[in-house]
Amino acid sequence: MSLILESAEPREVHHFALLFGFGASAINPYLVNEIIRAEAEKGRLENTDPHEAILNYNKAVGKGVLKVMNKIGISTLNSYRGSQLFECIGINSKVVDRFFPNTPTRIEGAGLYEIEKEISRRHQSAFGGNTNLTSVPLPIGGEYRWRRGGEKHQFNPLSVAKLQKAVRSNEPQTYKEYAKLINEQSKQLMTLRGLFEFTNYDPIPLEEVEPWTEIVKRFKTGAMSYGSISQEAHENLAIAMNRIGGKSNSGEGGENPERFYRNQGGDWKNSAIKQVASGRFGVSSNYLSNAQEIQIKMAQGAKPGEGGQLPGPKVNKEIAKTRNSTPYVGLISPPPHHDIYSIEDLSQLIYDLKSANREARINVKLVSEIGVGTIAAGVAKAKADVILISGHDGGTGASPLTSLKHAGLPWELGVAEAQQTLVMNDLRSRVVVECDGQLKTGRDVAIACLLGAEEFGFATAPLVASGCVMMRVCHLNTCPVGIATQNPQLRKKFSGKPEHVVNFMYFVAQELREIMAKLGFRTVKEMVGQVQKLDRKPAIDHMKAQGIDLSPILHRPKVGPDVGLCNTEKQEHGIDKSIEFDIIAKAHPALFRKEKTSLEFGIKNTDRAVGAIISNEISKIYGAEGLPENTLKLIFEGSAGQSFGAFATRGLTMVVNGNTNDYLGKGLSGARLVVKVPEESTLVPEENVITGNVCLYGATSGEAYINGKAGERFCVRNSGARAVVEGIGDHGCEYMTGGVAVILGEFGRNFGAGMSGGIAYIYDPKGQLTENCQNPDLNLLLVEEEEDRRTLQELLQNHYHLTMSPLAQRLLENWESERPHFIKVLPEEYRQALQRLEEERSVEQ
Amino acid sequence: MGKTTGFLEYKRKTESSLPVEERTTHYKEFTKKLRPKEVQNQGARCMDCGIPFCHSGCPLGNLIPDFNDAVYQENWEVAAQILHSTNNFPEFTGRLCPAPCEEACVLGINEDPVAIETIEKNIVERAFAKGLIVPKPPQHRSGKRIAIVGSGPAGLAAAQQLNRAGHEVVVFERNEKPGGLLRYGIPDFKLEKKIIDRRLEVLEKEGIEFRTGVHVGFDISAKELYNEYDAVLLSGGASVARSLSIEGMHLDGVHQAMDFLSQSNQRVSGELNSKKNEERKADILATDKRVVVIGGGDTGSDCIGTSIRQGAEEVTNFEIMPMAGLDRPQNQPWPFWPMRLRTSSSHEEGAERVFSISTKKFIGDKNGRLRALQTVEVKWEKSPKGRLQCIEVPGTEKEWPCELALLALGFTGSEKTIAEELGVDLTQRGNLKASEEDYATDVPGVFAAGDQRRGQSLIVWAISEGREAAYHIDTYLMASSSLARKGEGDLPRV
Repeated sequence: MSLILESAEPREVHHFALLFGFGASAINPYLVNEIIRAEAEKGRLENTDPHEAILNYNKAVGKGVLKVMNKIGISTLNSYRGSQLFECIGINSKVVDRFFPNTPTRIEGAGLYEIEKEISRRHQSAFGGNTNLTSVPLPIGGEYRWRRGGEKHQFNPLSVAKLQKAVRSNEPQTYKEYAKLINEQSKQLMTLRGLFEFTNYDPIPLEEVEPWTEIVKRFKTGAMSYGSISQEAHENLAIAMNRIGGKSNSGEGGENPERFYRNQGGDWKNSAIKQVASGRFGVSSNYLSNAQEIQIKMAQGAKPGEGGQLPGPKVNKEIAKTRNSTPYVGLISPPPHHDIYSIEDLSQLIYDLKSANREARINVKLVSEIGVGTIAAGVAKAKADVILISGHDGGTGASPLTSLKHAGLPWELGVAEAQQTLVMNDLRSRVVVECDGQLKTGRDVAIACLLGAEEFGFATAPLVASGCVMMRVCHLNTCPVGIATQNPQLRKKFSGKPEHVVNFMYFVAQELREIMAKLGFRTVKEMVGQVQKLDRKPAIDHMKAQGIDLSPILHRPKVGPDVGLCNTEKQEHGIDKSIEFDIIAKAHPALFRKEKTSLEFGIKNTDRAVGAIISNEISKIYGAEGLPENTLKLIFEGSAGQSFGAFATRGLTMVVNGNTNDYLGKGLSGARLVVKVPEESTLVPEENVITGNVCLYGATSGEAYINGKAGERFCVRNSGARAVVEGIGDHGCEYMTGGVAVILGEFGRNFGAGMSGGIAYIYDPKGQLTENCQNPDLNLLLVEEEEDRRTLQELLQNHYHLTMSPLAQRLLENWESERPHFIKVLPEEYRQALQRLEEERSVEQ
Repeated sequence: MGKTTGFLEYKRKTESSLPVEERTTHYKEFTKKLRPKEVQNQGARCMDCGIPFCHSGCPLGNLIPDFNDAVYQENWEVAAQILHSTNNFPEFTGRLCPAPCEEACVLGINEDPVAIETIEKNIVERAFAKGLIVPKPPQHRSGKRIAIVGSGPAGLAAAQQLNRAGHEVVVFERNEKPGGLLRYGIPDFKLEKKIIDRRLEVLEKEGIEFRTGVHVGFDISAKELYNEYDAVLLSGGASVARSLSIEGMHLDGVHQAMDFLSQSNQRVSGELNSKKNEERKADILATDKRVVVIGGGDTGSDCIGTSIRQGAEEVTNFEIMPMAGLDRPQNQPWPFWPMRLRTSSSHEEGAERVFSISTKKFIGDKNGRLRALQTVEVKWEKSPKGRLQCIEVPGTEKEWPCELALLALGFTGSEKTIAEELGVDLTQRGNLKASEEDYATDVPGVFAAGDQRRGQSLIVWAISEGREAAYHIDTYLMASSSLARKGEGDLPRV
């Protein structure tokens, strides 16, 4: 049975996604079609004929739905149809049970009566009364761009203007006017927190509340990368947060190592939080070593299920350098982390990062969604130090429209659920809970805190304080105030100052202190999770707010007095048990005197992330430069555990005689890794798997020689390492942006998907590559140019010398006859960028 | 919304003016039109802001990004439609508005703002030229009758809106022709009167009745209107001019700016000539005189330009406040309206501007004619209570020989005749008491809008008030209204 819907209403991607998701087989959006036809006939669509225009619209909707499916991880419409992957906010269960059975709706809300009223209001405006009263045929609306009388936005001309005036002229009174505009939503409800009011007042004198300087240490700015925003804007946030002891966030774009050192004036451009996202851009040992907190971005509240994208024009030379990529090549973060497919994988990554910098807290960023409590409990058990619950309405102006409005959930729901689940499982005291997503005022912070958060992230508001006027053109590189742009002409217009951001944080902290004094809390710590101080506002003048039931958010689990409501203890990471401390003790001559040292150790598969701790020590002393090549050679005998050589830095050579597990050379940062078959073994290397999945994920530099086959997802997001391997599984070199991969055997399915840079040389004597790799963005070439021949030959020679690979030996001995069997895989975008750089160089000369 | 990179490619361009010596020989408008392509490029400079502050800065809530985009797309008809959806008379604001929208333009943060007013004028002029602006009488009549007292921009806007809603509208005007200050205050070189006539013709054809030469409160009592009509809108302006209580006010040669301007406009239009001798007041002419214009506002400027055209020997302009800077004051940052030095086209035509100066007395000759005036320099200091106080600087007295002094000191509120007759309360500031919530006075069925309610203000505010009041009158009569409103979001003055 097929359900075909004919309706005047569907017009946006979300409408179609929703209808398919609830089971429609086909949709006839006749009104949209009629409008398009009429516009085309009037010649307003650049001479597109009506039929073609409708086809174009259909295509756009189709692509939008595809994007939505892709976020969720569904490949075909048949699987998506009827999947019901939605949560309702503000619809009562009577309606949901009848029409959308089994869809979660946690806070109740409008019923059929209110829905009908809204429809009849729309009908009235279309058909009722005198229709020639307004001369625009349709109101502009203001969903995505503010218009008077249209959709309400918290950031509107007045609130932006007031906030900027307050922080620039340091006017507490103007901040209060701003905060009032945001906080008082009784007439124009925009957020769940707008429904709350404080209760159970127990006032204390304001002086007894901890000082603002203590409070702002809990404040953070959002993860916005250098690349998405300009250097000036990015550094401005970092300086401001370092001045007050808060934390700024690098975002996922890496960071210029020059920023790791304080300048003479005492200001510090270092981002306290370094983000590790799926793209792993610029994530190296040195980068991680300079973090106070390392954030694993599992998803982004504003666009769950999507990775970030940096369009080619924004990738200038500086950004490319910071991200270890090629200028002008667009950068796409894959939606998932390729090293995380389970909670155990996440636990492993936490361990790897903790090894790479054991002083830093590990923060796992989750988005508010139903079930986030269970996930948070898992993440707490996986030893995260901080769990961030990110709300839906944050995010950049670069978020796709389909994500801007209808993806993600308010943090009020997520924080409450996470808090309740963590407390019920007595895990809450082990982790810090952070909240972000359009926090704008002290009242917002107070509510987040009462619901269970103890640290707070702000992104849009500090940007507005720095001069952002919510253009929503972040993706176009035309930001006229020098924030979300890399155009040098526009960057000059950046007028934000660290003191503006400091003032904002100060004002928010002061507002929070005033609320704390009224409620009777001396410290934020006392306040966390005290939901009894919140109640529903009695009088809210909003038709659809009447049926809302906030009790699920305000629920406080009944637990014993010994169960903590906030963070009181540290996680046991077990890093101190690593064999690396033994290695470090023996490697002193190399570490401190740069003396060439060679050491031998046994290794077993419970020894994980070996190389990360010693690399952290090297980075702390020598920075990104590391040690001179080959200074410290570590030879292991046995079977290495997961993440061998993770973030291993320059100057290290790590050899395993035996085999290694998954994640070999994760985030490789300059070291040389050699995995070879022990001399006494009788196995034929090229026929046997010697290392696991996801080798060299996010490697930024270094070399790896693998004397055997590797598993799936080899060299995903490699941006600079050179690797030789004797065969790989599926999905090799996905999203690769730099470096070289030499594959001397099988190369699996889906090779080079999303690959936008770097080169792969594949030994393909049977000519199977063209069959398996049908990516139009990749050039498949013969190895003919001098440079290619030299590179390949050199890597093969290294491979032979380091591993004694019989295969390498054979290929080198018959070099002239074997060379034509090699295919060079060169991404087209990369080729064009290299050409452009070459041209620029010759112009400069 | 314009072109994504338009603001990086094109420079701001507005209409240029004819040279001073050429334009001061006549009373006609003196700007040179832009070519359509140039206007289109100005539209391209609009950046499609996520928050269009211009839209908030415009008291009418003009849909500026939307008509800019239509202009960029060369969709002039759509542009005119969008423009008229929020503004009944863009040809007035397109010429006369000080453009708070441009002060709020995002591009104006660090570049020259989008030439919104120029675009507005071009849209409406093109629409008129192409015959797109035609009378649109309502399809149905409600049977309700509304009297509007005063035919300035507020009254006219309310009339058109209420007529569109199907009501029968009669506009009362005490002068010979409708238009209020547009006709009798603003000189022709800023707004040629045929521009008003062109629009009045449309309004009349839509069914609005104008009764001119009828002075409500004298020729007909306000009570009569109140009894005869279903609703009354008072939009008679803030017509009580501020005066000075100093020595020599009675001298021949000391005049209120409005008396001078009104007479000049009537002279230009020929209305004066057609008047009977007994109705004519004595001529106020600047010809061959040394003229001092007291007051540095827009009316002062109009006096300067008119005096120069009449052949004044020299023109001096006094302003009691200190000279403002060219940049925004720090306490009035973007996007708020800044008090800064504005130089009008009349200033350019040759007037000496003197700031921080106060007039102490007028000095006459033995025939009672103005011979000179005496001034003193002033400085402004904050009192202990934080109020600005004007303090005379001792020893700075000076005498300025002059034969004509024009007082352009602003207005102090509404005339009281009608208010008293109907029992409508006045505010402390002398305006009719009616809140912005519903524009209703305390007398049921009597509404107020424009300067008479708001106090002296801009044309754009008058039109806005007229439109909003119309919505409330319609609601009052019909229980609901489909008339357009601007929606909240006005930027306040700081």
